[in-house]
Amino acid sequence: MSATAHAGTAGSHELEESKFQIYVQIAMLLAVITGIEIITVYLPFAVPILFAILVVFSAVKFLFVIFFFMHLRWDRPFCTILFFIGLILGGGTMWALLRLFGAEASMPLSSAMLETVRWAAVA
Amino acid sequence: MSSTAAGAIDHHFDPSTSTGIPNKKLLMWAFLASDCMFFGCLISTHLIYRLHPPPGVPSARSVFSIELTSFSTFILLMSSLMMALAVNAIQKGNLKSLRASLLTTIFFGCIFLGCQVYEFNNFVFEKHLTITNSILGTTFFTLTGTHGCHVAVGVFWLMLMYIRTFQPRDSSRDLRWFLCNALHIVAFIATILLGMRLVLGVVRGMEATGVSAATLAHFARGYFAELLGIVVSLGLLRWLAQPRGAVGFNETNAIDVEMMGLYWHFVDIVWIVIFTVVYLLEYI
Repeated sequence: MSATAHAGTAGSHELEESKFQIYVQIAMLLAVITGIEIITVYLPFAVPILFAILVVFSAVKFLFVIFFFMHLRWDRPFCTILFFIGLILGGGTMWALLRLFGAEASMPLSSAMLETVRWAAVA
Repeated sequence: MSSTAAGAIDHHFDPSTSTGIPNKKLLMWAFLASDCMFFGCLISTHLIYRLHPPPGVPSARSVFSIELTSFSTFILLMSSLMMALAVNAIQKGNLKSLRASLLTTIFFGCIFLGCQVYEFNNFVFEKHLTITNSILGTTFFTLTGTHGCHVAVGVFWLMLMYIRTFQPRDSSRDLRWFLCNALHIVAFIATILLGMRLVLGVVRGMEATGVSAATLAHFARGYFAELLGIVVSLGLLRWLAQPRGAVGFNETNAIDVEMMGLYWHFVDIVWIVIFTVVYLLEYI
């Protein structure tokens, strides 16, 4: 084995050893973020600010899990690309559905409108 | 891979494939990408009806229990940590640590499932929210129930992987190994189901009558069969876990554990999104 290969294996060993500490630290960080999220919902801030804070915290937790616990940080970039294709398609579907059903014509009927429809059917 | 010496395998590169990624891992990432779309649709369906609720839908805030959900979120996060440690252990060839981590992950997964059973039970019988009586119930139970099914499949997979770590080096024509496997699975399922029944029964009883020594003694008598079943199945699990010669499960199987880990972490990230979108947003 060449000197470069030896150095590579040694580096890989150190990485495997240090992963234990990384995992524990990240888990603690995720637990703390979850605690902060729960406290955040009771803070007297405007709804858009609270919404933004919760989304950012959720995204941070999501990214920490996929890049560290799921090893995307150390794996081939193709794994990241493959997963993000699904994620973007899923996110895009969510966005499209929310837009589609948020349109006026797609809104569920109110009680008064439902009554009108019922009376029209009876008549 | 030719070398099996501990630490000699590069777990992030497979020279035998054109992409450098092990085929099993690539398959799992492709599956998880497709599952993103599946959960995306379920989450958006729930959100649509929360943003535009039809008349007569109950307030989600009056139904949900943020304390219980926060606890189960914490438990799932810790199970993710244990799963990551399990993968780390087998990549270093440490079978003992792998088994301990897998058992802890199974334990945490069962606590999460128990919390969900308790929550669903509470919603249906106390809050009168069922899957058919309101659109909130329909979208909520479909989304969280599907996630719960994923967790249950994950627990079963973890259980099978734990049992596989005891596989003898040459088990091709070993009937004893097959019988041990079957017994191991039965003992595991019995422990989990009886344990859940016992804990949920005692918690529900304590809620109704309060906590005292007399109440606990009453429950011990009432759940004697379950207690006995748990003791027997735990004893069986302990006996089946005794070392019986060389095992065939080693560092070369790390990819199988890693693949299972990917699935388990995915279940965790889906819950991260559900916890924020379905539960926390109701409170702002």
